[in-house]
Formats: sequence, C-alpha cells, structure tokens
Amino acid sequence: MEQGASGSKSRDSLKAVFRPASIAVVGASANPEKWGFKILKNILDAGFQGPVYPINPKAGEILGLRSYRSVNEIEAQVDLAVVIIPAPAVPEAIEECGQKGIKGAIVITGGFSEAGPEGAELERRLAEIAARWGLRVVGPNCQGVNHPHHSLCASWPLIQDKGEMAIISQSGTIGAAFMDWASLDRLGFSAFVSLGNRADIDEADLIEYFSADGDTRVIALYLEGVKDGARFLEAARGCPKPIVVLKPGRTEQGRRAAESHTRSLAGRDEIYEAVFRQRRIHRASNLEELYDFSKALAYLPCPRGKKILIVTSSGGSGVLATDVAALEGLEVASLPGELAGRLRAELPSHFVISNPFDLTGDADARLYRKVVEAASPYYDAIVLIFGDPLPGASEVVTQEPPQVVIYLGGADVERRERELFHLKKIPVFPTPERGIRALSQLVKY
Amino acid sequence: MEAVISQALAEGRNLTEPEALELLKAYGFPIVEHRFASSGEEAVEAASAIGYPVVLKIVSRDILHKSDAGGVALNLCGPDDIKAAFRQVIESVKKHKGDAAINGVLVARMAPPGTEVILGMVRDPQFGPTIMFGLGGVFVEVYKDVSFRILPLTEEDALEMVQEIKGFPLLKGIRGQGPKDIGSIVNGIMRLSRLVQENPRILEIDLNPIVVYEKGCEVLDARIILM
Repeated sequence: MEQGASGSKSRDSLKAVFRPASIAVVGASANPEKWGFKILKNILDAGFQGPVYPINPKAGEILGLRSYRSVNEIEAQVDLAVVIIPAPAVPEAIEECGQKGIKGAIVITGGFSEAGPEGAELERRLAEIAARWGLRVVGPNCQGVNHPHHSLCASWPLIQDKGEMAIISQSGTIGAAFMDWASLDRLGFSAFVSLGNRADIDEADLIEYFSADGDTRVIALYLEGVKDGARFLEAARGCPKPIVVLKPGRTEQGRRAAESHTRSLAGRDEIYEAVFRQRRIHRASNLEELYDFSKALAYLPCPRGKKILIVTSSGGSGVLATDVAALEGLEVASLPGELAGRLRAELPSHFVISNPFDLTGDADARLYRKVVEAASPYYDAIVLIFGDPLPGASEVVTQEPPQVVIYLGGADVERRERELFHLKKIPVFPTPERGIRALSQLVKY
Repeated sequence: MEAVISQALAEGRNLTEPEALELLKAYGFPIVEHRFASSGEEAVEAASAIGYPVVLKIVSRDILHKSDAGGVALNLCGPDDIKAAFRQVIESVKKHKGDAAINGVLVARMAPPGTEVILGMVRDPQFGPTIMFGLGGVFVEVYKDVSFRILPLTEEDALEMVQEIKGFPLLKGIRGQGPKDIGSIVNGIMRLSRLVQENPRILEIDLNPIVVYEKGCEVLDARIILM
C-alpha cells in the first residue's frame, strides 16, 4: 500500500479480511490430511455466520458443502478468499478473485519470496494483481487469520475464546501459543493475524486497523523486522492503544536467524529500542513477557504513580517481588505512620508491619481485604501475592487502587481461584517476577 | 549554506571542517572560536587574535580522521610552538597520505575542560535519519553508552535521550562538580535535527567532542559527510 492509503481508507479495505459476509476456500480438499480440508473444517467448526464456498477443480461435495470449480462459478457476492493451492497457481487464482469482486484474500500457501528468486517473482505478481483489483492480501506463507468476534477461524489451531488482545505475528506458532495461553486463562483474544511474507498487508496496516477495532484493547506483535519503517512510525504514532512488541535479533546471530526465517531486515537493535521508546511501545524480552505485558495492559487500570505495597502470604515471594520491583524502578515504600498504627491496632500483635507485608500462615482472604482497604489511600498500586491454597481470594480483589494478583503454590485451590479471577477480567500472574514486571509496564510511559 | 553543500558535492568531496563549523553556526550551535590559516605566519596571527593556548588541525578534503593522520597539535602556547606545530602537522599528514590535498590548518582556541559529549546523525536503512547522543571518549568507544532517536523528535525525546545514558550522573554533577548545562545539550539535539531535516543531502554528522560546561557548551570538532 502506498503511504497515502493509511488511516481510515486502509482500515475500510481490511474489512473484507476481518468481517467478511462470505468466504471462498480456494484449494478446499476432501482429504482430511490436507490443509485445504483442515482449514475449511476450522472455518465451519468456528461457526462462521455466512455462506462458505469450497473451490476445487474436481468439484463435487466437501464437508457437506457444494464445491465449485472456480470462484467465477459462484453466483452470489463473495468477500474473502482463503487460498491454499500451490504457489505457481496463486497469482492466477488472485486474478480470478479480483474479477469476481472479492476484496480480501488470505494466502496460506508457501513457496514465495521465502523460497528463492522464482518464488519472489510469483509474490511480486501476486501483489501487483491484488493491487490492481484493490484486493487486500494477508500472507502469503502464513498461518491465516483467527477472529473470534466474527466467528472466523481461517487458521489453526481452532481456538475461539473472545477477548481483547490482538496478536499479530511473523511466526504462526508464537501467535498460536499466545492464543492458547489466553484461552487457558479464559481471557481470550480479539484477533490473530499471521503476517507471513507481507506481500501486501503489514504490521502498520494492522496497527491502524486494530487501533480502531472496538473489540481490541491492546495490540501484541511478534516482529522480526518492520516492513516499512516510516509507515510503522506513522501507524504507531496514531495508535491510542498500548502496543507490546517482542522483537528478537538482539545479537548478530539472532539477526542472521531472523533474516533467514522471514527475510526480515532485523536492523540495529539499539535503533529499534529507540523507536519503541519514542513511540511508547512496550518491549517484551521473551514470549512470556509478550503475553504478561499484554494481559496487564489490557485488563489493569494504570496506577497514578510508582508507589506500591506488596501484601503476601509467602515471605520468599515477597522478597523476590521486592527485588524485581526495585530493579524496575517501582517504590516499595514503607507504611506511613498513620497506616502502620491502624494496622497494629487491628491485627494480632505478632505481625511485622512492613513492606512487603507478610500475612504469614495466618493469611486468609478476609485478612488480605482488611490490609488492602486500610492501605488503599496511601499507595498507587497493591501487589497481592497469594502463596498458599487460599480460597475466596478472587472475592476480595477490587481495582481501586490497581491491584496486581500473583498466585502460586496453591494447587487445586489456586487453579479454581485463577479461573474465577479471569472470569472477572482480573489477570493473575504465576510468579512474583512476572507479575511485577507486568506492573512496571503500566507505569513505564 | 545550500551553496556550500552543492559546491562540495560538485567537487566530489565532503564538507571541510571550516565549512562544517560554519553550517553548524548558521543553525545556532555555539562553536569554538577558530580561524583558517594557510601558512605558519598566518597561524601565528590567528592565534594572537584568538588568544593562547590554541590547537592546530589539518584542513584537507582527503583526511577524514585528523588525529589518525597526525593532523592535530594541542595546547600550543606561543608563536614558536605554532610554527613548529604547523610544519609538523603538514609533514605527518603528507607522510600518512602522500597525495592528500592540503588547504592549510584550522587554528582554534584550546577549550577549557568540561564534560565531553558527542552528538551525531546516521541514516538507518529502515527508519531514516537517526540522532545519536553519548558521553565522549571511552564511554562511547568502550561502553557504547549512547542513545538514539528517530527524526522528527520532540524536545521531550531530546531530554529523554540525554537522561537515558548510563553516564547521565556525570552530567548531573558528581564529586563536588556542579551540574552541567543539560538544556544546552537538548538545544543542540533540536538544532541538529532541524539541520538534518533541512539538508537532506547530508549522509552523516559527527560532532565529537562537544564540551559541556555548567553554563553552555561548545562544539570543538565537526565532521559532515555528504551523500
């Protein structure tokens, strides 16, 4: 896309990809071993609300649907084509889609620029044909698009939990892992886009699209290199939502690996670091952080400042949390005299009134609530570490002031409580380090 | 200043240091007091106008790294020093590069000690012109303690890039030294970014060092590479 096509025009043109009313699956197959079968099945199993047209030269019936030899045989309007045929046949298929008036395509097939000069030529033709017809393309060489809010899963694995985090990835697996974790956490995701070779649609287009998407609160990216620096800077500047990026290539070896994986120009890491800071982008240093930071930014309110109180039932976890908090520039500030006095009067005499505040073996949900209620006016955020099987934990946490929940060592009770927290859209972090580092992102910019 | 750049490009060379300093001056940079001299006698005249001590630096289109070529003489305190240094500088440069075209020398006031910083611009293949800031000397060479920002940048960005280097405490003042004029560095960054945006034919800039004092700062050396 040219620079001028940014903003709302670019967003509108992506509607065919994310909110199609009908889909043609070019290369649909009756053979359960083939991607043309698996993806068609995922589209159907996800409960897509409009007509789905399998396209296969042998026609017949696939998964109970009438199949067509070509998109031109379909009488009705088609919005989106999901393309799973060998690379050499793709440009012509896109040409037919253009003629048919299809406005979006997801090209799963590989064998394009990642495969050598011939593939690169095919990709160039694909992009040229698509541009001529005003047809927007995801891929090629990608894992597709999953958009649970539209019951669209032109991808794999089939995960459908609706949520508020969009994941855009140059790796299918990293996107899938993110979705899987979000699904296990019952938080879900708003969309997954596998970028592939970015013959047309790139991360800048998608940042613009999800900036305006009502279901998305945070945009997570796995990026080995930007496609167009100027467009990326522009899209990120215009984005009012938090963006979290996992960008490898911190070492020379990593940069070379990235270049061979996606042909991305990994670039100088210190320049990327500068770009991220300048655009207020949160940089994750690993996959867990990509998920944790996104979760925190999507579901926790931003604290007013950096003064935190750590309340814990586990002494060791409190120490770990304190260390990381200090490294991240958070203030683990001692309790003001007034608050210390009040807690001393209300709690049994053996409690040590300090920060981290250790509730020891006496801890129960009621005691957490008591401390939080008393301390709320004095702190910008409260970190609650549940370090034992503590039932009822999910009932005592509010978000005034912001409260970061870390739950560990609680076995079955923990698993039950974690689910209850997540159903209330309160994120739970599995270790003190991960919880505190996620919290630090909320006050970073 | 456009004309200077056009002429240098037409002659297939980069800006000479006097030209580079003039360009910087036009953008409001505080520049060390300096004069051009094409002979030992002229250098003595220049020095007495500027006031001792002074430094001499070779001016040659063919010499990019003056110190490496033996083209710099520091802390010269009188006319005899200068005449000897003039001969010596020319001689070492010729030895270093026999066919180097030598215009003469730059005579500059020997700046009083302060904290040395560097400011530069490089072009990133993906993000375009990028401003770099760091502490001079060993900090940049060994510790790579530098920060970057992409153009265009705001004053807030400029301040952040100064604050984010590890050596920032040295600028805030340590061991009884007063705080250095951080505002003057921020101004320098903003001036440099305007210069880069208005002169798209510049490929690279290296202001090394800029000496920062408790009040103000001064550019001592400038290298401007054209496309």
